[in-house]
Amino acid sequence: MSGKLTPGRLMLMAYVYLVLIFVLAPIVVILPMAFSEPDYLTFPPEGFTFKWFGAFFGNARWMDASVFSLKIAVLTSIVTVVVGTMATYALMRGAGRLGTLFQGLLIAPIVVPHIALAVALYLFFRQTGLSGTVTGYVMAHAIIAMPFVVFTVAAALSSVDATLEDAAMSCGASRFDAFRLVTLPLILPNVLSGALFAFILSFDEPVISFFLAGIRDKTLPRMMFDNIEQNLTPVIPAIAVLLTGVSILVLVCAAVLRRMAQSRSIPAEEG
Amino acid sequence: MANGAQTTAGAEITVRGLEKKFGQLKAVDDLSLDIPSGEFLALLGPSGSGKSTVLMMLAGFEVPTAGAITIDGRDCTRLTPQKRNIGMVFQHYSLFPHLSVIDNVAFPLKMRGASRADRRRRAAEALEVVRLEGYGDRMPSQLSGGQRQRVALARAIVYQPRLLLMDEPLSALDKNLREEMQLEIKRLHSELGVTVVFVTHDQGEALTMADRVAILRGGRIQQISAARELYERPANLFSAGFIGEMNMIPAQWDGSGLMLAQGDRLAPPEAALIGAVPSGVATLAIRPERLRVSAPDAPGALAATLEEVVYAGAGTLLIARLADGTEIRARVPSAGLPRLAEGERIGLTFDPDALLVYGEAAA
Repeated sequence: MSGKLTPGRLMLMAYVYLVLIFVLAPIVVILPMAFSEPDYLTFPPEGFTFKWFGAFFGNARWMDASVFSLKIAVLTSIVTVVVGTMATYALMRGAGRLGTLFQGLLIAPIVVPHIALAVALYLFFRQTGLSGTVTGYVMAHAIIAMPFVVFTVAAALSSVDATLEDAAMSCGASRFDAFRLVTLPLILPNVLSGALFAFILSFDEPVISFFLAGIRDKTLPRMMFDNIEQNLTPVIPAIAVLLTGVSILVLVCAAVLRRMAQSRSIPAEEG
Repeated sequence: MANGAQTTAGAEITVRGLEKKFGQLKAVDDLSLDIPSGEFLALLGPSGSGKSTVLMMLAGFEVPTAGAITIDGRDCTRLTPQKRNIGMVFQHYSLFPHLSVIDNVAFPLKMRGASRADRRRRAAEALEVVRLEGYGDRMPSQLSGGQRQRVALARAIVYQPRLLLMDEPLSALDKNLREEMQLEIKRLHSELGVTVVFVTHDQGEALTMADRVAILRGGRIQQISAARELYERPANLFSAGFIGEMNMIPAQWDGSGLMLAQGDRLAPPEAALIGAVPSGVATLAIRPERLRVSAPDAPGALAATLEEVVYAGAGTLLIARLADGTEIRARVPSAGLPRLAEGERIGLTFDPDALLVYGEAAA
């Protein structure tokens, strides 16, 4: 689009930049605070130090929370990807009449407010004794992350010719081998990018963790909440810098995976 | 010749009372068929005739609702596809896009537990058979349509199956390539001795390639016979109209002669009658290339009014109309043809053995 700068176009550009500023400004403001000298939050930052990162990595409680979050995020992404891929495969390749219903149920968490989900899970987990357990966290996070895996895997599956599995079976492969050796490698980039999304959603997830946290085991976002309530030091922006870094890294990985997927797919029809 | 092209005896197939219902719709209806070892059989029919469903049942992707399929004496009716040892070529090639050409071809051998060295050797031989030696390391996306179809063929024959199924394998190719591949597949068939069942909606393809052609309509076999018989003596009017061009002229059969609506009386030889022709409404069928042009009043000629003259080099197509309004087409050699004007009265003559007479029931 190399058009003239019409008033409409100018307004659109202004709108787009305003949205970008609105979205990015809080991050841009918080990041420099992580390197500020005083032990309270200041803007603009004063001086320059890495000591708050040191405070984070040197503190056993922060480290415990990080390891706990990491453990949950890894388990969540594994569970979500295995269940989500199988479910999506069944929805798209199966002949069941309930497909639409199940698809609706799988992606519903994207429209239900997390706070409502959190309350419901809290009540449910309290009665079943899952509150504060790794299993409870992983189940809750898997519910939230599921729609993202379903969407990315569905996008990949719709571009993979279903007769490829027939071809594999006519070559002597079992139904499972046909999936494992043909369909899975073709959708793998999207499956992995779904796993990365699930990981980051779980790792950063504050709302449900707030409700489910036990006394001993807390996730990193929950620990940050506690810390903000008690003493607001620049450790918080330091962690924010680290989390943002992880998120960017994950998004870049997902983009690379998607690029790989595109270059791999062959044009379906040509002479 | 490469070792990969060792001759294997083709499979013998018996199909009895085969039926496939999708809900209320009978896609295949009480179909029986015997395919001898090494035969090249074409299943020919319009879309919806059930030809692909028959193939899918032979392959094991569809389970029949009734009937039985026996391959080499073994009941395969409900056997899963991977246990049938059948080679299959799909309409859109269905190559595995993430595997190189050689890995695609070696895939069936891998599924059969062949060693890596053995797989590579035999896959390379199969590529040689389809004249793609040296293409092993390419990816399918780097090949042309014709090359992809050759790879699909190599993958289907690499483990020397006794039966090769092909589902409209050439329909995605352009005309020149299609004709080249037709000859290629025929060559492979005679080199390998494998039984081939080939689905197509292209009659020219069926007539060129197959030993026998089965014409399907509404899930039933209309006729199954060798190409020449199919063309020269179609078993009913559907086959007659489906294969090639056919003039069909309404007539009355009185037990010994044929009365046309415009008054001509013909006495066709005994051999012209297809099946039993009871007295009453009948149809006279004659191929356009069996007609010749004469004067309108020549003895034995059908008088007609010329409507269109289409010159096409070696041949000329004449479209004329009988007095009762029936259109009649003649394909005659252009050489020696007098100048004909549209609207002119002409006569059309024929040899007695060009006539085919169908009774009312042969629709």
